[in-house]
Amino acid sequence: MGSDTDTDTDGDGDRGRDGDPDTDTDTDTNIDGDRNADRTDDRTAVPITGDELLETFPRARGSGDISVLELPGRDASTVSNAEVLRPELSGPLDNDLYAHQAAALSALSRDENVCIATSTASGKTRIYALQIARHYLDACARSGDADATAYVCYPTKALSRDQERELNDFYDTLGLDISVRVYDGDTERGDTRRQIRETADVIITNFAGVNTYLHDHDRWARFLSACDLVVIDESHTYTGVHGMHVAWIVRRLKRVLEYYDADPQFVLTSATIGNPGAHSSSLVGEPVTVVDEDGSPTGPRELVLWNPPPQAREDGDDERASGSSGDETPDDGGEDAITDRVPATVEAPKLLSHLTYHDAQTLLFTPSRKLAELSVKRASKHRRDRSRYYTNPDRGSAIEPYHAGHSRRNRHGTEHRLKTGLLDGVASTNALELGINVGEMDATVQLGYPGQRQSFWQQLGRAGRGTKRALSVLVAGHRTLDQYVVSNPDYLLETDVEDAVVDTRNDAVFARHLLCAADELALDESDGGAAGFAERDRLERAVEMWRRAGRLAGHLETGVSYTGPPRPQGSVSLYATTGEEYAVELAEDADERHDPQMEPLAKERVLRDFHEGAVRLHEGRQYEICAVDHATPRPSVTLRPIDADYYTRTRTDVTVLDAVSEESREIGPFTLHFGRGRVLVYHGTYDKVAIHGGQKKERMIPTESPPLSMETQLCWLEVPDRVETALIEKYCEFSVPEMDGDLAETAHLGYAGGLHAAEHATIGVAPLELMVDKRDLGGLATLSIDSHLATATESGDAAQESATPQNIAAAEATVREIASELEHEPASGWFIYDGIDGGLGFSRAIYDNFEAVAARARDLIADCDCGRVDGCPACVMDDQCGNNNRPLHRDAAVDVLDQVLGNAGEEALEAHLPDDEFGGDRRPPLFYA
Amino acid sequence: MGSRFRRAVHFHPGVKTVFIPARLPPTTTMAGRTGARVLALPPETVLERPVATLHDIGATLEPDAVWVLGRSREPTAAARARHAIDAPVIHPPLETGGDALSRRPIGDDGLAFAVARSASALRAGDGIRSASDQNEDEREVDALICDDIATTTRPTALETTLDHAAELAAALPTGRTTTVLTGGLPAGYDERWHVAAETGTVRTVEHDPLRSSDSVADDCVAVRVRGAGPVDGYGGPNAVVELEFTADGLVSSTAHAASDFGLEAISGIGPKTAGRLAECGVTTRSELLETPVAALADIEGIGPKSARRMHQHATVLETGEPRRVGNASLPGENWSTPPLCIDIETDGLSPTIIWQIGVYDPSTDTYRAFVERDDPADRASVLQAFCDWLLGVHPNRALLTWNGWGFDYRHLGAFVARHCPAYAAEWESIPKFDLYLWADGDDNALLPGRTNELDVVAAELGYDGAATGLDGARTAAAYQRFMRTGDGSELEWDRHEAYCEDDCRALWHVYERLRDAPQVSAGSSASGAASSSSTAEQASGEQTGLGDF
Repeated sequence: MGSDTDTDTDGDGDRGRDGDPDTDTDTDTNIDGDRNADRTDDRTAVPITGDELLETFPRARGSGDISVLELPGRDASTVSNAEVLRPELSGPLDNDLYAHQAAALSALSRDENVCIATSTASGKTRIYALQIARHYLDACARSGDADATAYVCYPTKALSRDQERELNDFYDTLGLDISVRVYDGDTERGDTRRQIRETADVIITNFAGVNTYLHDHDRWARFLSACDLVVIDESHTYTGVHGMHVAWIVRRLKRVLEYYDADPQFVLTSATIGNPGAHSSSLVGEPVTVVDEDGSPTGPRELVLWNPPPQAREDGDDERASGSSGDETPDDGGEDAITDRVPATVEAPKLLSHLTYHDAQTLLFTPSRKLAELSVKRASKHRRDRSRYYTNPDRGSAIEPYHAGHSRRNRHGTEHRLKTGLLDGVASTNALELGINVGEMDATVQLGYPGQRQSFWQQLGRAGRGTKRALSVLVAGHRTLDQYVVSNPDYLLETDVEDAVVDTRNDAVFARHLLCAADELALDESDGGAAGFAERDRLERAVEMWRRAGRLAGHLETGVSYTGPPRPQGSVSLYATTGEEYAVELAEDADERHDPQMEPLAKERVLRDFHEGAVRLHEGRQYEICAVDHATPRPSVTLRPIDADYYTRTRTDVTVLDAVSEESREIGPFTLHFGRGRVLVYHGTYDKVAIHGGQKKERMIPTESPPLSMETQLCWLEVPDRVETALIEKYCEFSVPEMDGDLAETAHLGYAGGLHAAEHATIGVAPLELMVDKRDLGGLATLSIDSHLATATESGDAAQESATPQNIAAAEATVREIASELEHEPASGWFIYDGIDGGLGFSRAIYDNFEAVAARARDLIADCDCGRVDGCPACVMDDQCGNNNRPLHRDAAVDVLDQVLGNAGEEALEAHLPDDEFGGDRRPPLFYA
Repeated sequence: MGSRFRRAVHFHPGVKTVFIPARLPPTTTMAGRTGARVLALPPETVLERPVATLHDIGATLEPDAVWVLGRSREPTAAARARHAIDAPVIHPPLETGGDALSRRPIGDDGLAFAVARSASALRAGDGIRSASDQNEDEREVDALICDDIATTTRPTALETTLDHAAELAAALPTGRTTTVLTGGLPAGYDERWHVAAETGTVRTVEHDPLRSSDSVADDCVAVRVRGAGPVDGYGGPNAVVELEFTADGLVSSTAHAASDFGLEAISGIGPKTAGRLAECGVTTRSELLETPVAALADIEGIGPKSARRMHQHATVLETGEPRRVGNASLPGENWSTPPLCIDIETDGLSPTIIWQIGVYDPSTDTYRAFVERDDPADRASVLQAFCDWLLGVHPNRALLTWNGWGFDYRHLGAFVARHCPAYAAEWESIPKFDLYLWADGDDNALLPGRTNELDVVAAELGYDGAATGLDGARTAAAYQRFMRTGDGSELEWDRHEAYCEDDCRALWHVYERLRDAPQVSAGSSASGAASSSSTAEQASGEQTGLGDF
């Protein structure tokens, strides 16, 4: 799927960046690193401090959960231009280089690839701009007409245009005749394009463009032959599925460059992430030198962690009204949320309003476009509701929304008014996160934790400049991550940032790009091996697969050509792993003006969220899905606008079959596995949930969706026998009254609830350690891991041929059958899998970082103050749970995790181990997603 | 490109799917009928196309049998095909004859198919083996039709499997090859699967069935699976598949777009306009020609200009006589010496070598070939010799190709820059003409022929080809074998050179016919008509209309 073009009811709105190559967003990475020239401001003090905020905000005192952290500033560390640059370049530059710019330029002069991972506005663009200038001067020195070109990729088209201007201005300053041109889907076809290909020194594009243009590389021969530098800007945005595609597009580009005898350097610029080196080399397939010692200055900052107060009775109408817009209710924790706090969606706009009233120019970050719009209205309503306090309601009231749904002209206007101080505040999606040139704010407010530390810091970076103080407020929502962050503020201050995950092991994605590569240049033996496109064995298997399918012809010894339908590049979807995408169509009888113009959807997404009868919110409008056509080759979803007082929530059942361990390691007495297997997902029924009040209007309506069968990557933890035996005994009294049937009676239920809770929590906190999207992960807690493994007696092939069980009951029967045939007592534990066909590398990353993730999960569960044994949405409940969050047992989960982490020893078990070997009933093959 | 763009999409007689914009030169059609012809049509095509179009398909291709593809029962489609096309209709799900496998003779040459209603019918029946064993009189069948046969690709496992391999293993004779035709795979699919007779397990797959040297193990069934289903192309599927047979088996398959037939074959007529014309009683090209231009122009969505253009094009299609549109001169028409007609042969669509360059000089009626016969690893010699000759002997001549900007010029340019860099600048400066681009891309001519393949157009214009039986893909495959084995003696060099020469001469034939063709006024202001490439730059500029991104 694309990024956030749909802001739908279960909060997919924050999934991607607001705006992507195909939509439109303005972001910039200012080339000078010293922006804000337009707004003169002599004040050195912030108009309002964190303490003053607490004192002045209505009823803030005494509401408890607010803490103010003081973050020190950092002085600039600079290096004289002349030390690093030749006189032609250092001469015209006014400012010295920051230390990291100098370090990066030095590494580049040693012919290294470089990744610069420093803060927002630290002048990263200048580094590659200067390296391009160096190459240009070198080429001029070599001979009069020699070329030195650079290919520069940005994540969005609007950013490309912004940077085209900045780079051209910069080269004007330097007095260099370097032409920088954008070449993307908006570039006029025909002569304009040809002229750019044949004359530009620097071509700016995006990866969707590179993917397409490689088909016609011969037209680019001049540009590619002379290519000395490839720039991947904002490289941290390439993770997950999208990151895999980019990694393969880069590899295809390298193949073609090599054909033209070009061997360019790579420069990557990244926000601060945990693994810039590993991530960069995964993307480009070469070693990369990391420069992350930030030499740019920052002022001191106050960080206010604001957990909203309990719902005040007299405000009840107001707070409850938040649900009436319909879009954020599920964001706040969903139907089962124990929401006794004011939602962040209500509280954050008040803070925006308050700060601007106190003369602090403020940027509010919201998770969706709709909320950006709503927040502006709510900020204004707050003034009116509190007119006794805000005696001059017009003071600091120039507040506007900003997001990629606005026209470019409109957005430029907003940017300009912010920069010149005409606006007091803006409520924006993450479209402003990468840093439009709007000058620096006095303050930022975040409506909810943005999900990742790198994003959190990136947004904070919009406030404060030089030595000036800045104020940042994080307003926590009800979600797991938000609550974890506000109760564990140290987490934010740790130097670690999430690892970005890019994985090139997904064979489905690899195979698709292999077709493109063969179309671009015949594949041969040089493509196999360490320095080639893929390992020899993998290459041969993929070539054989496509030859048998009639899509490739020839032999690696002499060249393998593409023979399928024209332009295989066109069928690469940069947001899905299989080529199979569903077109989204408006019903024929519907008003064409309401065409949602949604990007195609991945199959996984269609089955979960776009089944017949589902109601989705898109761009603030409700749509009902009236038909789904799964037929290949052109599957589609048809929808029509409706006005409903409910939204739909799909119920999901999951099981794992045929898992095969490829790697394992011991964690104390536990065993952790990584491997592959088949995940069967049944989005079998759905509920209609009232927008007002969250009551279920109708339950268990069949979706008619077929099961989704994925070959994917998994990791799983096996609990040792002694731990299991002791904990079963310890929690044998546990029961869940609402649970039906005999399963509720078993003595295993408490322990099973512990595994289930631990599974939810480990998935829930994974984004704290890794740049993964929780929605791309799934889990399964089970008392019989062995029933989900490929059995030794059954060969892999035979297992593949076994038909997919058509519903969850049939799947459970299959698992039970396998369980009954086991000759040994099975182990219990839980699986975590990548919810994308072929896998994403997410469960692999969890396998590698399991202890860190488990520690976070343990703290989350133990520290939650919900006081309930079955937890709350902030700790172990998950609104995607297929088992309606039953059974869950927090204490049992903490016990299991303490054993994994070695926090508790054997003695913790002794008391509960039965005197005899456990002689109870044979365990039921229970499993819970 | 205009509405006729999809007409450029075609399928090559022979083995693999090829599209003009990345062309391997097409072969000649067989001179005259050499065997039986079967037409494979998906039921949707039969049901959706007007009867008049089906009739035109039948009249144009003259099949000996029509096979309405059938993974499911479509009795209406079968009936409609039977009604519209004068040939026996095979629709596997409706095959009767008591047995699970029925035997269908095709044409007059003793060709016969076995038809399986479904894959399970293969199991139910006695198998092909016994059918021929039991009845000595009855000849063995030449192929088995079974539309359930397809492949399944699982990219997450890097694996492609053959559906119903076990059923095939049970039904087919061991130790030898049986051809299976299926609408479940696109036309052009041609792979030989070796399946263990006992288990149905795939042993190996031969990718070069033409070579056909690997013997079949005694405990194995070899299945040469050949597709007859629609082929995806630019602008949609090419669903009308023509299969040609000789006594020794299937020779070639050609996929056409259904819109190459009937009224829609006329430039400017799509399904909507065809529907409106039908409402006015116009369902065939001759009916269209009988309707006055003025009457056509009154129909909604058709103006005077398009009405006139439709008439002109219909005339060209009906008479086989080309027309020039507007006043644009042919590329090089006013030069004192005519351009040199060239054609190249490579080892595939993503070439690693240009191993043959053929040049026909119309001014002297001589042909010259530059061929790498000795060392297939030597990419430079042929190019070097060609450039030496061209620049040394004919420094002032222009070049002419058919779709050169889609294939020949692009690869020659890239290969010269890479392997003969000394000539790169000179190569750039040689004037290069593309007759296909001029005629079709720039709308300067109306051509007869269902497709714009050179061989089809040339044949329509009366060119009598050399009938080498080759096409670009076969030539490429033959050279690939040479590259792998290093044994040049296997390759029939003369035949491959004759094939290349034939294309060069066919090109000149088309050029001459166009030169002499009557001119009609342009239906609309023909854009860029005058600019037809007096320099390479201009020519390549025009090319951006073809498929530029």
